[in-house]
Amino acid sequence: MSRFFLFFCMLAAAVSLGAGGQTSEGRQARKQRVNQQLLPKAVMEEPSGPAMEVPAVDRSTRRDVRQAASGIDSLLAAAWKEKGVEPSPSLTDEQFVRRVYLELAGRIPSYDETLAFLDSKAGNKAAERRAELIDSLLESPDYVSHFYNFWADILRLTERAQKNLPFEPYLYYVKDSIRTNKPYDEWVHEMLTADGRLWENPAVGFQLRDFGMPLPYVDNTVRVLLGTQIGCAQCHDHPFDHWTQKQFYELAAMTSGTKMRPGPQPGQGKPKPGQKRAFQGMRDPDAFAVRRLLQEVKRETDRNGVVQLVLANATNVKFTDRPLELPHDYQYDDAKPLEVVSPKVLWGEVPKESASADGRSQFAAWVVSHDNRQFARTIANRMWRKLMGVGLVEPVDDFREDNPPSNPALLEHLTDLMLKLDFDLREFVRVLVSTDAYQRRAVVHDPTSETPFQFTGPALRRMTAEQLWDSILTLVARNPWTVQRPTTGQIAEIVSIDIRQADAQTVVRKFDDYMASFGPGRYQRSLQKVCGYRGQLLLRASEMPAPLPLGHFLRQFGQSDRETIEGGRQVATIPQILAMFNGPITHSMLERGSVLYDNVTEGPPKEAIDVVFLSVLSHRPSAEDRGYAMQEIMTADDRATGCGNVIWALLNTREFIFIQ
Amino acid sequence: MELIDRRAWMGGVARAALGVTVLDRLALGQATAAAASARSGSDVNIIYLMMRGAMSHIDTFDPKPGRDEQGETKTIQTKTPGVLFGEHLPKLAGLSDRLAVIRSMTTETGAHEQGTYLMRTSYPQLNSIRHPSLGSWALQVKGKRSRDLPGYVLVGNGNEHPGCGFLDPAVTPVPVASPELGLENTVRPRYLSETNFDRRLALADRIDRDFKRLYGGAEIEAYNQMYKDAVRLLGSVDLAAFDIEQEPEKVRERYGDFALGQGCLLARRLVESGVRCVEIEMGQWDMHRDIFEELPEAAGRLDTALSALLGDLEERGLLASTLVVLGTEFGRSPRVNENAGRDHHPAVFSCLLAGAGIKGGVVHGASDERGHSPEKDPVSVADFNTTIAAACGLPTDKEFMAPNGRPFKIGGGGQPIAAVLA
Repeated sequence: MSRFFLFFCMLAAAVSLGAGGQTSEGRQARKQRVNQQLLPKAVMEEPSGPAMEVPAVDRSTRRDVRQAASGIDSLLAAAWKEKGVEPSPSLTDEQFVRRVYLELAGRIPSYDETLAFLDSKAGNKAAERRAELIDSLLESPDYVSHFYNFWADILRLTERAQKNLPFEPYLYYVKDSIRTNKPYDEWVHEMLTADGRLWENPAVGFQLRDFGMPLPYVDNTVRVLLGTQIGCAQCHDHPFDHWTQKQFYELAAMTSGTKMRPGPQPGQGKPKPGQKRAFQGMRDPDAFAVRRLLQEVKRETDRNGVVQLVLANATNVKFTDRPLELPHDYQYDDAKPLEVVSPKVLWGEVPKESASADGRSQFAAWVVSHDNRQFARTIANRMWRKLMGVGLVEPVDDFREDNPPSNPALLEHLTDLMLKLDFDLREFVRVLVSTDAYQRRAVVHDPTSETPFQFTGPALRRMTAEQLWDSILTLVARNPWTVQRPTTGQIAEIVSIDIRQADAQTVVRKFDDYMASFGPGRYQRSLQKVCGYRGQLLLRASEMPAPLPLGHFLRQFGQSDRETIEGGRQVATIPQILAMFNGPITHSMLERGSVLYDNVTEGPPKEAIDVVFLSVLSHRPSAEDRGYAMQEIMTADDRATGCGNVIWALLNTREFIFIQ
Repeated sequence: MELIDRRAWMGGVARAALGVTVLDRLALGQATAAAASARSGSDVNIIYLMMRGAMSHIDTFDPKPGRDEQGETKTIQTKTPGVLFGEHLPKLAGLSDRLAVIRSMTTETGAHEQGTYLMRTSYPQLNSIRHPSLGSWALQVKGKRSRDLPGYVLVGNGNEHPGCGFLDPAVTPVPVASPELGLENTVRPRYLSETNFDRRLALADRIDRDFKRLYGGAEIEAYNQMYKDAVRLLGSVDLAAFDIEQEPEKVRERYGDFALGQGCLLARRLVESGVRCVEIEMGQWDMHRDIFEELPEAAGRLDTALSALLGDLEERGLLASTLVVLGTEFGRSPRVNENAGRDHHPAVFSCLLAGAGIKGGVVHGASDERGHSPEKDPVSVADFNTTIAAACGLPTDKEFMAPNGRPFKIGGGGQPIAAVLA
């Protein structure tokens, strides 16, 4: 006991768990840091309330969820039997709590959360306790944050997707659509048909993401929403699929009338190469207003940013039906170059009730229609992959006749379920994580293998960059939500100009306001003041500026640049390891005042090793591991150093970064 | 054809780590020996400048003076009689006697991701396999030159890079996000002694044993490998190679104060210190709008950076052993679009080779008068990469079996371009 007491004293006396050592340099460093609060105060304080209100999960449907889950399980069991494969062992509670936090909340559970689950007596039955944890996570801000990251990668969410056009309102809109659990078909329909300026109707961000590129827009939209790659057919008939270039243009003709700015659009008339045509429409009062204001502003100032602010305000999505021509070098016999194509969907029909609507509305109605099973199938497969690690069709955006699903019956079953749930994604996720297959130990999957994955458990995956970041944050911050991404209203107030009324001085003033709040560097600096630690922002990944610089921890671990659809990766690199070894983030949790530091030093000393294991790996140590850890602590230069070494060692295991 | 034996391969890599020549008991070892005899004494480095977004050929290395397609970019005379470049490349025009310009590159892929993948691996992107990049092949066959430093460095974004593909993770490039920052987090915190560091590693290994027993697979193995490499690197005195701040101000200025320039400088330092392959990415080329406004900066940067690199390598006697490649994803359309930009154009584009194994002052192939399609000697990506492989003394005819049992050739089984090989 006295040995433990000594350990406790040493630990409590140490300034940080990594510091110490017997060298005079070490002592000096320690002295310097006394009284110096390195972790930002706001991050260390318990938040006063939830980060946001998330609608509650309906507990009364739990029976239906169970039933739906067992429907999936019986299809899988049949497949296992047929292939003669054995299911992976069921997850222990310790493994379950870690996985379900990582995949619904996007982070490991905290020490307290792990204990609360492992020791909870509620409901007695394991299944009930698990169901309750699932439900409570689905209604947490963590869920919103995690699924925001998921969609940010798919939708290429960045704050400046187009030069000097503030996309923050769109990013906020996506986050809020997840928060309110807006039905997916409704959400998509909103984005495909939205009109207006970004901060008036932020759903226009989806169309503005491919501003000025109407053909790639169609390619990306069909790829993301319908899991089908028709991009090749933009230039020529698809080499491996049946799509023709004409079909591509017919589909594009439905949405290509979308105007991003007032005045005539590219493609109308035949301008000379290089000729500028912006806002030249003589009869369009908005184009006239923009032209007038631009002239006035240019007389007043030569600051390009001011001009860009006018242009941002001039960016106003609107649909006008107008014909689309085939390219000048069209090479097939079924039509002539520059011939006007008639709008047409790729398969099926436009729903009757939309048949007389404009092209873009017809397109949207067709995409999200319950009759268009491919829409439901694509999102069902996508969510399946999200949780099971591998899609029934892989890649999830390449459905083709010669790329059949690994289990067609299951995919159709999931499609039916998606339709039955009316595209309630949260409920769909609730069903998937409630399956027996999900609650089994991860299985190593080789994506290049010829044998399809049998889902005898989810595929073993490395944490995404965001999961890793948010997990580390869990060890450090009591409040990882000190700042949230700007809302639509905040941006509107700062950038909105009435183009028809405004004079040049107003625009300049607005621009100065903008620069002072969201200007380059300014916004970052204001965040640093609240939650900065050694150049890093101790914030949830979902609330960080996007894209982050290439050298940021999140980018090192493969966060997407948000330029390519699903550009995130989980590939091993040396800079990742160096960041885990020596980077500021690894060391933040060893600072006084971090969640981990306080839990280790404030608890009974003999439990310190348990606290460290439960905090970092979400389980208690085996007798053997406890022995190793104890030996390390007892033989280190001092106890605090030893304890820091144990924490560091756990962080640098494969067990930590892979989801078991 | 030989089966690549994974364990044997790992053994080879492990020995490479110890500074021993690689792969003698492997199939690849024989291939290496054969290649070495074919091209005696060649121990070539590669510096590859990858122009992301697709560089316009008409505005750079394949101008069409007097045609509408030329747009607003004027032309300049190069040192090679009768050969013109775009006006924003004056320094490279003065070095044309060192360059082999290929003006008849052609592909069918007009999408960025697929285009880069094809250029890097010589094979089209498929769902079922990840092909190794050319640099990884070079490293796999030739081995590392330095014991501690990585063999292959990528200055840019690692996410889209195919890396080692189905080869061993040890030959995957080490991404460096910014040439200015170099390799970050290489300094142990002050309080952490070396002994403590070793204790930490040993402890992590012990605690991880159960997990490693349960789970294998390429992903986990890759992490195991990266941990080993990172530890070796941390102890290295050669780390200074990553620090371009150690270069005199004059040299830094010569390369230009922008990412590509400083990236080229970093590449030179790395090659000098024993890194075999360096790839530097430059974005900025995807000029769908206002190309004639955006071009001077992008092309000017390329001109400064590449000319400085070639000059510096030559002055240091490194050009003879270093192959410098300028590649891009595809070309840009001869027709200027309504937004005063050029769109994607895979039918024809230009690439450059210089340095080791390459004949200078050569223009190979030609596009038609509009710059629309190849007119003479079309060069596929496989031909181009096979030429690179040949210049580096890599075996280009040999078939290697991937783990999925399919055969592959380094360079993709193309025809090397004899006219540009020295």
